[in-house]
Amino acid sequence: MKRIKTLNTRNLKDTMKKGGCGECQTSCQSACKTSCTVGNQSCENK
Amino acid sequence: MIHQYKNNGYNIVLDVNSGMIHVVDDVAYDIIALFDKLRDTKTHMVSEKDKETIVAEIFNKYNKPEYAELFEIEPGNYDEMKSAIQESILDVEQLVKDGALFTEDIYENYINEFKNRETVVKALCLHIAHDCNLACRYCFAEEGEYHGHRELMSYEVGKRALDFLIANSGNRRNLEVDFFGGEPLMNFEVVKELVKYGREQEKLHNKKFRFTLTTNGILLDNEVEEFLNKEMSNVVLSIDGRKEVNDLMRPSRNGKGSYDIIIPKFIKLAEDRNQTNYYVRGTFTRNNLDFSEDVKHFAELGFKQISVEPVVSLPEESYSIREEDIPKICQEYDKLAKYMLKKKKEGKDFNFFHFMIDLSGGPCVAKRLSGCGSGTEYLAVTPWGDFYPCHQFVGETEYLMGNVYEGIKRTDLREDFKQCNVYSKEKCKKCFARFYCSGGCAANSYKFQGQIDDTYDIGCELQRKRVECAIMLKAAEAVGEE
Repeated sequence: MKRIKTLNTRNLKDTMKKGGCGECQTSCQSACKTSCTVGNQSCENK
Repeated sequence: MIHQYKNNGYNIVLDVNSGMIHVVDDVAYDIIALFDKLRDTKTHMVSEKDKETIVAEIFNKYNKPEYAELFEIEPGNYDEMKSAIQESILDVEQLVKDGALFTEDIYENYINEFKNRETVVKALCLHIAHDCNLACRYCFAEEGEYHGHRELMSYEVGKRALDFLIANSGNRRNLEVDFFGGEPLMNFEVVKELVKYGREQEKLHNKKFRFTLTTNGILLDNEVEEFLNKEMSNVVLSIDGRKEVNDLMRPSRNGKGSYDIIIPKFIKLAEDRNQTNYYVRGTFTRNNLDFSEDVKHFAELGFKQISVEPVVSLPEESYSIREEDIPKICQEYDKLAKYMLKKKKEGKDFNFFHFMIDLSGGPCVAKRLSGCGSGTEYLAVTPWGDFYPCHQFVGETEYLMGNVYEGIKRTDLREDFKQCNVYSKEKCKKCFARFYCSGGCAANSYKFQGQIDDTYDIGCELQRKRVECAIMLKAAEAVGEE
């Protein structure tokens, strides 16, 4: 596509199939302790 | 739902529900906006008549000589311009067909099913010391005392907490334990004993403990560092940034600043950990709204893992972030993002926690929508063994959930927290950033709105800005690779 570049992104819909294992890090434990940031965490069930 | 914005010369279109991100030129940016306005709400496509409208509107805007180059045509060759617009409309249609644009939010029932699963506990915040050797002015723990009294956690209480975690973790293998305070190094012997106990138990129960510790660094020495580097999967080093900024808000109990004592130790620890698996973590307040300078300060000292976060405090405090500060803070985030790009080009890149985003390997939608886990899979434990939904609720007696001896007694509270997710909050339903913050922090909501299922609006504004910057950095990275 000439005018559109789509970034290499995992489609969230596709993560419904295998998702929800819960092995990933609890969001608040990472550094924050005062907010909730999940977008930066990595999936442990790839 | 899409979110379109321009940042640092990039035109970005986020398809909120699929998480797909498109970097587009000005023409496609305008076409997508019109397409969104005219599209059928069920099929998400536009009619042939609407396509003509889009072509006409885009043509009217761009049929000027200065835009010829954008269409790679000779000035005046407007038929070719119309064909190019039509071609781009087809591209947009293709994205819709591919499930990458105007996708629907299909997750609400899925999340409700997910939330109805049996609750397991996978993370504890152990308040190993309700005492502190600093007197930080903004401390939500009230200099370590959390509306209570000074106390250190005993080994017995800590051991029972770990036993509770193992017993209630179901089939989860990775278990997280954060040593928190107050200042946890004021009770270092118990930290060491609990880690030893945890390592014994993980083998017996096929679990893996990930220990972390948050420290102000005052008691950090070579022996402590060696232990932390061996046992802690992450260490959070509390420091606010430039000396004058840090020392204003993080004095010792005799009023002297802490910067000079801690900075050499933090530099050494970061190096000894190979610049990974730690954060220098600062809080910015109204006193240093130019916090990008504090991030720069850390970067210049060689730190590679940096987190500087807005203070969360009530309006009556003079240092609290006010609504009127939001534009300045957003400018600072933009400034910081540009600085990071510059450093990356120089080969001196670093991570800024709130701009980190994993597009290709990030969390599943269940994780993204189901809240932070406080009160359910994440609990805080006081030095005497009481359970609270998270470290920020400690001392709020109406949120006392149970204790290490009797387990969770207030299952009603656990249910309330379990239901706390983006679909229980009206504001989140309309927010493009909901897949990146999981509905925000329940404690912040409680602090500002008196209930856990609302939002802290200043925090939301800043979160949205950070998501925009984080995506822009990814866009810049991707375009730069071409």
